[in-house]
Amino acid sequence: MNKMRPIAVLAAGVVAAATLAACGGGDDSGDTGSGPGFNAGVKEQVNKSDKKGGTLKFGHSDDWDSPDPGNTYYAFSQNFSRLYGRGLTTFAPAAGDASLKVVPDLATDLGQASDGGKTWTYKLRTGVKYDDGTTVTSKDVKYAVERSNYSAELQNGPKYFKAYLVDNKPAYPGPYKDKGDEGLKSIETPDDQTIIFHLNTAFQEFDYLVAMSQTMPVPKAKDTGLKYETTIASTGPYKVDSYARGKSMSLSRNPHWNQSTDPLRKALPDKIEVQLKQNGDDIDQRLLAGSLDVDMAGVGVQSGTQPKVLADDQKPYVDNPVQGFLRFMSLNVNVKPLDNVHCRMAVQYATDKVAAQTAYGGPLAGGDVATTVLPPTVAGYTKFDLYPQKQAEGGGLDQATLAKAKQELQACGQPNGFTTKLSARSDRPKEVAMAQAIQQSLAKVGIRTDIVQYPAGDYFTKYVGVPKYVHDNGIGMMIMAWAADWPTGYGFLSQIIDGDAIKPSGGNNLAELDDPKINKALDDAIANPDEAARLKTYGEIDKMVMQSAAEVPLVYAKALMYRPKRVTNVGITYSYGGMYDYLNMGVE
Amino acid sequence: MFAYIVRRLIGAVLMLLLVSLVTFGIFFWLPKLAGQTTDQIAAGYVGKAPTKEAIQDTKERLGLDDPVLVQYGNYVKGIAVGRDFEAGPVTDHCPAPCLGYSFRSSQPVLETLVDRAPATASLAAGAAVIWLTGGITVGVISALRRGSLWDRATMVIALSGVSLPIYFTGMVSLQLFSYSVEIFPGGGQYTAITADPVKWFQALVLPWVTLAFLYAAMYARLTRAGMLETMNEDYIRTARAKGLPERTVVTKHALRASLTPIMTVFGLDLGLLLGGAVLTESTFGIPGLGRLAIDSIRSGDLPMVLGVTLLTSASIVIINLIVDLLYAVVDPRVRLG
Amino acid sequence: MAAPIEVSGSDTEAQPESVLAGVDRKKIQGRSLGQIAWLRLRRDKVALTGALVVLLLILLAIFGPYFVQDPLKYNQNLIDPTYNRPKSGFWHSGISSEHWLGVEPGTGRDMLARIVHGARISLLVSFLATLMSVIIGTTMGIIAGFFGGWVDYVISRAMDAFLAFPLLLFAIALVGVVADDAFGLSGNNLRVSVLVIVIGFFNWPYIGRIIRGQTLSLREREFVDAARSMGARNSYVLFKEILPNLVAPILVYSTLLIPTNILFEAALSFLGVGVNPPTPSWGGMLTLAVPIYSSDPMYMIIPGMAIFITVLAFNLFGDGLRDALDPRSR
Repeated sequence: MNKMRPIAVLAAGVVAAATLAACGGGDDSGDTGSGPGFNAGVKEQVNKSDKKGGTLKFGHSDDWDSPDPGNTYYAFSQNFSRLYGRGLTTFAPAAGDASLKVVPDLATDLGQASDGGKTWTYKLRTGVKYDDGTTVTSKDVKYAVERSNYSAELQNGPKYFKAYLVDNKPAYPGPYKDKGDEGLKSIETPDDQTIIFHLNTAFQEFDYLVAMSQTMPVPKAKDTGLKYETTIASTGPYKVDSYARGKSMSLSRNPHWNQSTDPLRKALPDKIEVQLKQNGDDIDQRLLAGSLDVDMAGVGVQSGTQPKVLADDQKPYVDNPVQGFLRFMSLNVNVKPLDNVHCRMAVQYATDKVAAQTAYGGPLAGGDVATTVLPPTVAGYTKFDLYPQKQAEGGGLDQATLAKAKQELQACGQPNGFTTKLSARSDRPKEVAMAQAIQQSLAKVGIRTDIVQYPAGDYFTKYVGVPKYVHDNGIGMMIMAWAADWPTGYGFLSQIIDGDAIKPSGGNNLAELDDPKINKALDDAIANPDEAARLKTYGEIDKMVMQSAAEVPLVYAKALMYRPKRVTNVGITYSYGGMYDYLNMGVE
Repeated sequence: MFAYIVRRLIGAVLMLLLVSLVTFGIFFWLPKLAGQTTDQIAAGYVGKAPTKEAIQDTKERLGLDDPVLVQYGNYVKGIAVGRDFEAGPVTDHCPAPCLGYSFRSSQPVLETLVDRAPATASLAAGAAVIWLTGGITVGVISALRRGSLWDRATMVIALSGVSLPIYFTGMVSLQLFSYSVEIFPGGGQYTAITADPVKWFQALVLPWVTLAFLYAAMYARLTRAGMLETMNEDYIRTARAKGLPERTVVTKHALRASLTPIMTVFGLDLGLLLGGAVLTESTFGIPGLGRLAIDSIRSGDLPMVLGVTLLTSASIVIINLIVDLLYAVVDPRVRLG
Repeated sequence: MAAPIEVSGSDTEAQPESVLAGVDRKKIQGRSLGQIAWLRLRRDKVALTGALVVLLLILLAIFGPYFVQDPLKYNQNLIDPTYNRPKSGFWHSGISSEHWLGVEPGTGRDMLARIVHGARISLLVSFLATLMSVIIGTTMGIIAGFFGGWVDYVISRAMDAFLAFPLLLFAIALVGVVADDAFGLSGNNLRVSVLVIVIGFFNWPYIGRIIRGQTLSLREREFVDAARSMGARNSYVLFKEILPNLVAPILVYSTLLIPTNILFEAALSFLGVGVNPPTPSWGGMLTLAVPIYSSDPMYMIIPGMAIFITVLAFNLFGDGLRDALDPRSR
């Protein structure tokens, strides 16, 4: 099982509490035993404490792409990097809906927008120091953004700043090639405490972008490029004592971190240790035994451990949050006969989502059945279901649902169904199992599918992300999963349903949906300073997408997370995709 | 003798060149034969945003634009005289023998290999001790009691041992001895011997025994066959006729002669194992060279793969050389030339 | 051991003495070595059991798929959604009168059907790969042994080189590199072809070495000298004198190579470079069992035992065959 996934960073400050209650997930009926209770950590941080000292132990079945804040993309990494680095903003250290709030971190306040949202100004706190005692300046933040977005060497992270900041003329080649002092002209640092970003378009969610670890300051003199991951200059309460790729990382207190400059962090443990490349089963066993505190990947226990953690004595220590990403099937609008909306609607009805859910691991480890593109933990989510399904007794879709599918097939001019290809990633057995479940349910209305499989590493760059390949091979249906880089409607949708996201290779808009109405609605929304109106638009866009029937939502992913007894201040943060918030964890 | 060693060493170097060339071919010629472009290959090494620019940058940085032979030449040159590595604002010098830098993590390959080798060496050495003593003892007893119940039983057990996939035995033993009854630590608990010898031992007991079982079975069969053959030789009859005690006949004469083929096989096995016991390390989560190899292959990290294959081949070649030298010691009939 | 080894019933039965003309062979030799071997094999109960199991497995692989359920059919009503494993059966295996070996966690696919279909892939790949190894190995071995000199030197060094390659790593790399559609093939046809080629190609030196050794010693035998002295050409000596005498070792080592190749294929599948799912393979099932075996142990035990029984049967049979054909090894 692939334990890594891209970040699902950020979420809106304002999300209706009712929405979150619906997604916060699961029933609490299993509350027995003496612990805080099943799903207690989803709503708020449990085991609250201010006790300092001890060693907090993390385990991970894999490794970072890089712990360098400027060269990383994973959600766990964004979450964890805040222990040794401070970006301009971050998310409130809290659980549940409170975790979605963007708060200033290195900056004194959220961004000051001007020029209709095209210029953003931040003031830095005074007295913030690196672990060697030198003072942080706004130039270090500017430099951090430049190196992470414009250099040829640091390729792992997202490139949003490069996409939204005004470029130099000629194009800025990055700080490693450009030996001048000025750097990128669109980031101004009039004084050591001020930083101003000039964007090429009005972008009202810029506070979410600067919450990424890419704004954690890097002193130019200390930058060693690709080797910086072993020599990170810390601004957080901890400094990185050692990082051995594939083995471990250890952190200890940063003597130059000052609590008075940092209202967010409690900095409880004296030491933090991370063991990498651990065996997944073993991580679970050690969590249960109490010799390990956190599974850093944050995607839940192994399926083999599931019965153990759901046993009565352990269940009160388990959380089952929504993970902020959607598993879905794109229907390509340029592949016949799926170019006809009725054929796509037939698929919407005939896809047995419960079967897909079971194939993926069931309601606890797999996720909830999805009816919208936006998952419930993304700001702008609106609940609706345009293609309601009912299950028959003993499993499978009922006759009424199948009849609706057949009706749509009739309208599409394919009364006896049609044949197409369905793609999945070969090295993800659960995804292949899901594809098969869908194949079997579609067959009931005469839609015949051949399952084609490609390796995950090349899925988007060589196969289904290449429109020409998709057309040439007639691949009508493609399974994928998506998590937002910041979970507002825009962050989630812009990469998968915007016409601009169709690329000759490596695109994520697999349906090739290029509806001028949808494109415009998205562009308008992000330029709209009125947050409430923006969020409402996201729900409307979601509906427009579902009306086009080009995306078949399958499940909102969920995971079973275990929180050992001795860990304090432990709660689920939605801003990093439903894992535990690492910022203020401590040990008893 | 000296000339022999020199000749063998030259052979070994040629061998290593061949292995690295083949590895290069697999990774760079084969994909092209299968119809991939350089851009597509480079796209595999770009992060999550494979834009045209990023692909171009990556191609340049990793030197993928050069013809394969030029890339290979640079690699060999790096081993001979070292190489410079652009890490961005700083340039790193990688002294000879430079095995390059990871395409993924930009770590120096040699450093990583040195770092991973002790885990693999611990696994291989411990297992080898168990399987050699166990396998040879069982084999000798079986040969001496040929046809007995012991002989039949151990030979069937030995065949079973050879027939079990190691990852299966590994999973079963983990399930039995570390999850059901918590006698040994579970997978992934390897600790370096320098850090904590007791934990090191505890964590390796299961992998040792599992791995040794497979090999012990093979060695028991080999020893038995060898013993049976030598026990029929004239010189054994002569030794007995001289009135030597049976124990001396068996250990000094028969066993010694039948050790020769075992040593050949042992050389190959140990050499391969030192390059990483891929399946055992995966099953028990031991951070050795085998795991490194698998991870690197999966992520297309060519320099790492090259490093591990070269190291493995080198260890096979060198151990074989040692074995051949030892022949002369064990078997007086062998003369090096 | 002056008499050449023969296998009865072989079309290419060697008649080396007939070169000497006029000698009535039957009067001299009561039984061919093949017959003797068969007599010996018949007395070896263990080997016979192995042979029987092998036969059954082959029949199972060929005809079994027509008798079992659809290996791809989902029976998700048998799965407990909370734990994602079968609801019933001992150890949550889902074993019932309907599903003799239980069902797969998550999907509820019939395990018996998957094991039987897995047998087909496993045996197909290992037989074809063995065939390939034997063809290359025999050819190279004979050429090296027969012609000697620099030809022998080159081929022998090549075999040494192969033996010093980390095979498993190379195989994984190779299968991984050509994982997609290429060379006009796609999907599992390509996967199976690549598996066969990779396994077959890397294993030939084992056979090659043995055949070379045998050829070397046969070349010096009296009957070959005799044939040569009577003016036989190389090709005659090769095909009429030497090749027939290699049939027995080829047979023995093929039988012993098959189980090695079964294990090789299973290991590759286990490491994720075997046939693509949903096509069942034993190694692939074990991979899926890794995260779940502590809660559904039968899902690990069943494919593991399938591999074990198959490999053991081939080994027992091959071992017996060797003993029967080569009396010295007993």
